[in-house]
Amino acid sequence: MTDLLHHARVSRGQFLRMMGGLAAATLATTACSTRPETTATTGGGGATTELKFIGVADQKAPMDELAAAYGKATPAVRLTASYAPTDQVQTSLRTQLGAGNAPDLHVVYPGNGSAMSMTQIAQAGLLADLSAQAWTKTIPAGFKPAFQLEGKTYLYSAGSSVIGAVYNKKVFQQAGIDAPPTTWSEFLAVCDKLKKAGVTPIALGAQTPWVTQLITYALVPSTVYAKDPTFDDKQLAGQATFAGSGWHQALEMYLELQKRGYFNDKPNGTTFEQQTAMVATGKAGMAVQVSAVLPDFRKAAASPDDLSMFPLPGADDAAQVWIPAGVVVGLGAAAKGRNVEQAKAFIDFLGRQENINAWAKAIAAIPLTQDASSTIDPAVQSFLPFTKDRAVPFMDQRWPNAEVQPVHFAVVQELLAGDSTIDEALKKMDEAYRK
Amino acid sequence: MTPVTAGRARPAHVRRRRRFSAAAPSWLFAAPALAVYALIVLYPAVAGVVYAFTDWSGIGRDMSFVGLENFRTLLADEQAMGSIGNTLLLTVAIVVVQNGVGLLLALGVHVKLKSRALLRVIFFAPVVVSPVMVAFLWKYIYNPDPSAGLNGLLGLHVDWLGDPSIALWSIAGMVVWQNAGYSMVIFLAGLEGVPRELHEAAMIDGAGTGQRFRYVTWPLLAPALTINLMLSTIGGLKLFDQVFAATNGGPGYATETLSTVLYKQAFVFGKFGYSTAVALVLALFVAAVSLIQVSYLRSREVAV
Repeated sequence: MTDLLHHARVSRGQFLRMMGGLAAATLATTACSTRPETTATTGGGGATTELKFIGVADQKAPMDELAAAYGKATPAVRLTASYAPTDQVQTSLRTQLGAGNAPDLHVVYPGNGSAMSMTQIAQAGLLADLSAQAWTKTIPAGFKPAFQLEGKTYLYSAGSSVIGAVYNKKVFQQAGIDAPPTTWSEFLAVCDKLKKAGVTPIALGAQTPWVTQLITYALVPSTVYAKDPTFDDKQLAGQATFAGSGWHQALEMYLELQKRGYFNDKPNGTTFEQQTAMVATGKAGMAVQVSAVLPDFRKAAASPDDLSMFPLPGADDAAQVWIPAGVVVGLGAAAKGRNVEQAKAFIDFLGRQENINAWAKAIAAIPLTQDASSTIDPAVQSFLPFTKDRAVPFMDQRWPNAEVQPVHFAVVQELLAGDSTIDEALKKMDEAYRK
Repeated sequence: MTPVTAGRARPAHVRRRRRFSAAAPSWLFAAPALAVYALIVLYPAVAGVVYAFTDWSGIGRDMSFVGLENFRTLLADEQAMGSIGNTLLLTVAIVVVQNGVGLLLALGVHVKLKSRALLRVIFFAPVVVSPVMVAFLWKYIYNPDPSAGLNGLLGLHVDWLGDPSIALWSIAGMVVWQNAGYSMVIFLAGLEGVPRELHEAAMIDGAGTGQRFRYVTWPLLAPALTINLMLSTIGGLKLFDQVFAATNGGPGYATETLSTVLYKQAFVFGKFGYSTAVALVLALFVAAVSLIQVSYLRSREVAV
């Protein structure tokens, strides 16, 4: 016996016949699966256009609802949607974009700073210009950088979400906390009360990378932008850095919460799902999260009404508290698809006020533009006073490349593990920013 | 042992006739298969290499040749170089433990037990589960809560995936759990091939169980060992799914492997050119390690 493989003896003739058969089978399968992709005939014989949409899982609820409504209003167009988690969409969609066979409509992230963001894809000439549509004229000025590149609109998004503390009202009551805190000292006092009441004050699921950034994002508006609203512009011009700014203070505050024992044990090993469950079931008092995931918390809770949100106060002067309010993930139309006009028409439909309202309601967002029929989730009501002049977009939406954000995730995990210092962390972020 | 095939016993003139009449046309039969192989495997692989020398972003047409720039970046890239260390540690851990456990399992289910067929199925079962599913499953098992998962079972309080000094080994553990059954099956096939007569002869000579393993079974398992070591080394070097699903390279950069780095460079950072360069280095590295490994291991295989 010289080789195990020799056990399976196949003569050369047999092997070649097998391979030939396999090839024939492959060709046959490929031939069979070639069918027209964009048009499908209905029973009546009239041709309908099939629009393909690829989105992220968060978009499923509003998109399913509005696609069905559009199907009723416009029977000649049928929308088929598929959804996947962010990472997978990022992989498959970028590959399709690179290969030149993008779906008619697909998820686009606002602003810049990620590989699937509006700026990155529009720069490559792959997004259709939506500027002629009526709804684009009413985009609030502060949100324009998220939607527009060089004055042209390439993104549809139904509104904005905020980052703050999602808290369990029952747990707060049981710990004797009557009102949400409005300053940093009050916030620390609330945490202390929760800890003394025997619950984890703040659930942190830092094993899930994107969760790591939320506490910094919630604090930086107060520690950086409240003092200098033009920080982004200065940073882009090379006149400001993470290390030399209020980012340092924000990370100090982040770690202070850890030092005081306000986080659950071992946050780096805890996932987003576990974090959600801890707050929903009352094992923890709150979690710093983006309002778009409120539906997840409510689903996990015995009574959805137990959960609400308050702005995380990042300053000791209540007037100096600013909040992060970012445009929610949206969609765009492929510039070079076969159905560009139909795809744009669908986006125009999404841009109608009632549809903006419907989308925003499904994900607990603040509608992009509001009318009498707009509803705003009671949980985010407390953020509304800030949205006018004390809110800044999520930081990554103005970052110049896709590398800063993952570095931020990694350094926060290193800081929580005690493997790094704030100075080292911010140095790494500055290096990534300059790439 | 496989019986000697009939063809070898044939007289010379028969063999010669076969070679002339059958062999030449049969390569033509293979042409369609080879064409498909060339089109869907060889061509994309070779065409992809070109991107390693460009700065292509993955979308759009903008691309310029940058020569060896990407490879120079790689040498200076702390994160990528760190990931090489992680990849090697993971590979060594997986190769040693997976094959050790696989061999023990194989020896265990090779003896005449009533339940051995069932046990073989149970030990092999994790192999058929998708690696991503296994990773998600183990995320629950690796819950840091002292009352849950593995911690609850063992009465420990370990942050399996969240502690940077443990996370890499936790991933190795779940890969071993999944693949030990695969090594077991290959070792079992090797064990089945050890002739009974040799064991009987050794027993007559007075060899005990340990000696028979050392002098009869172990040398004859060499081919199975070659395959197992090669497959687990390749698997370890290009490990991606489990790391990506369990930690995504974290905490920090503690579990970043070459595969996760090249994935992130391409799909997160939009640097397809650089990512292709990393992939090329990985592919050459895997090829080199496998070749050296196989040529050494082959040299110690013995014929019966």
